[in-house]
Amino acid sequence: MATADSSWFDHRTQQRLQRVALYITALLITTFVIVPVYLMVVIALQSPAATFAGGQVNLIPKEITARNFLVLLETTETVRYFTNSLIVTASSTLLSTAIAIAAGYGLTRFEFRGKSIAARAVLFSYMFSPIVLAIPLYVIFFSLGLLNSYFALTLALTAISAPFTIWLMWQYFQTVPLSLEEAAWVRGASRFRTVWDVVLPVARPGYISAAIFAFAVAWNDFTMARIVMSNDDMYTINVGASLFLDRVTIGWGETMAVSLLISIPPFLIALFLQRYLLQGFSVGGLE
Amino acid sequence: MSVGLRERFSPRELDGSAWLLLVSFVPLVAFFVVVWVVPIAYALGMSLFENPVRNPVFVGLGNYVSLLTEPSFWGFLWNSVVYAVATTGLSLVLGLGLALVVNQKIRGGGALRTLMIFPYLLPTLVVIFMWKFILDPNIGILNQVLENAGLIDEPIAFFSTLTWAMPAVVITSVWKFASFAFFILLARLQAIDPDLYERARVEGATTWQAFRDITMPHLRGAILIILLVRGIWMFNKFDIIYLTTRGGPLQETTTLPIRVFQIAFNEVDFGRATALAGIMFFLLAGAAVVYFRTFAPEAEVSH
Repeated sequence: MATADSSWFDHRTQQRLQRVALYITALLITTFVIVPVYLMVVIALQSPAATFAGGQVNLIPKEITARNFLVLLETTETVRYFTNSLIVTASSTLLSTAIAIAAGYGLTRFEFRGKSIAARAVLFSYMFSPIVLAIPLYVIFFSLGLLNSYFALTLALTAISAPFTIWLMWQYFQTVPLSLEEAAWVRGASRFRTVWDVVLPVARPGYISAAIFAFAVAWNDFTMARIVMSNDDMYTINVGASLFLDRVTIGWGETMAVSLLISIPPFLIALFLQRYLLQGFSVGGLE
Repeated sequence: MSVGLRERFSPRELDGSAWLLLVSFVPLVAFFVVVWVVPIAYALGMSLFENPVRNPVFVGLGNYVSLLTEPSFWGFLWNSVVYAVATTGLSLVLGLGLALVVNQKIRGGGALRTLMIFPYLLPTLVVIFMWKFILDPNIGILNQVLENAGLIDEPIAFFSTLTWAMPAVVITSVWKFASFAFFILLARLQAIDPDLYERARVEGATTWQAFRDITMPHLRGAILIILLVRGIWMFNKFDIIYLTTRGGPLQETTTLPIRVFQIAFNEVDFGRATALAGIMFFLLAGAAVVYFRTFAPEAEVSH
């Protein structure tokens, strides 16, 4: 086996083979990623009659129709579920980002003993299993009569996202030079004003990444909503839609249509805020 | 960084610091107490009782003993380990493969990178729907392809067959989470100085030698992080398995998180559910010790 030896392949051929291998790998992985997304889009935009004509699944689109979306609108509570999701996602994103900004700034600018313990506590809760937290939260919310409330789910979702948003802001504020603030103090600005006018604008990429993360956690959540919101009226879109598969009146067309709808907000984020998203990854990964 | 007032004055002497301290720490502390400390303490407390919600009877470690002595517990633990190891390992291999490809200057590399964000951003439920469709026994694309290729005689119900349930759940999970490994590894790859490769080439190193001696040492830390952190998360994952198999068929895909849910909401036994949650808590604490020893991640914020 002398493949590595130049007597078999000269340097050029070897390089060419490597490029071919490279493109084949890229193609295989791309296919693996694209096929499910393609299926979703095509099935969502085609009537089931066209998709399943002839007993086999036809995946070359023959038509574009809003039929599946209309069925969702008429026969399901999709709009209500969506509204619930938007409310808790927005509240949790705001709360998580606000806590992260306040805590991140404090943790960066004040010296105190036990900082490294605080850091460990934050990271430890970041790795925590939502299901383990959801059980006691369920019992506590139950005894307080808070099950099926936006407040409870917002709190539960923020519990999941805050450890990482705090960590991210904590790291981000360290890259903001203290001299910036000192310059403002010297000119007589109050500390609060300094934070508001000098620090926050500089820290914008940081809290945008934090907000994206909090948004993704809340929008993606199934576990917490499934446990905290057991009332049909209060289902989020993920819980509500998860029950579609068991309903006789709803088929793959409508299921893929709702999938497409759920995917739109994250898709818009990927489109416009990709840079911030990647920054979140580089700070130590997202869940 | 930040050599300035902080070095010369104590925080108290900086104007307005006391209330700023209040503004920044009170929310943090209040939040942590409300959503973390109280629930965890409450759960650990509940785990010592039989019927803790309505009619508590103190049983000490009874719930733990009964869980740990049940033979099925070890099966659930095993399922969790299999699921965590398989999903993490495959995500790593796929993510590394693609990161190496994108890191080479190939045409369409940028588009590939953007593409990899999608599985990660698509909500889990959407991913589940896609794969339930692909693997469906009646109209599933995969069965259609396999049958047309003559590889199988009759369709396979992947999510409800003993042999295939776990692999199907693993593939679904890997599809979503390979991008996690991809982005972390790509960031590390792009931080490697290209001169290193140039020098290796001049000295006559083969591609493999360059990979082994330059690329791998640079990726070691990232790979460890992925194995450990991703492994912990997959071990604890609930939604994917619940939404695909509910832990079935039989108990083939019942992992510890699924079991916690079943005990709490199907068997309505919060004593045992919180005891199992407690066991998972201690397993996580163990893993966290390894994580902190290996990486000292808190050093990144200790100044």
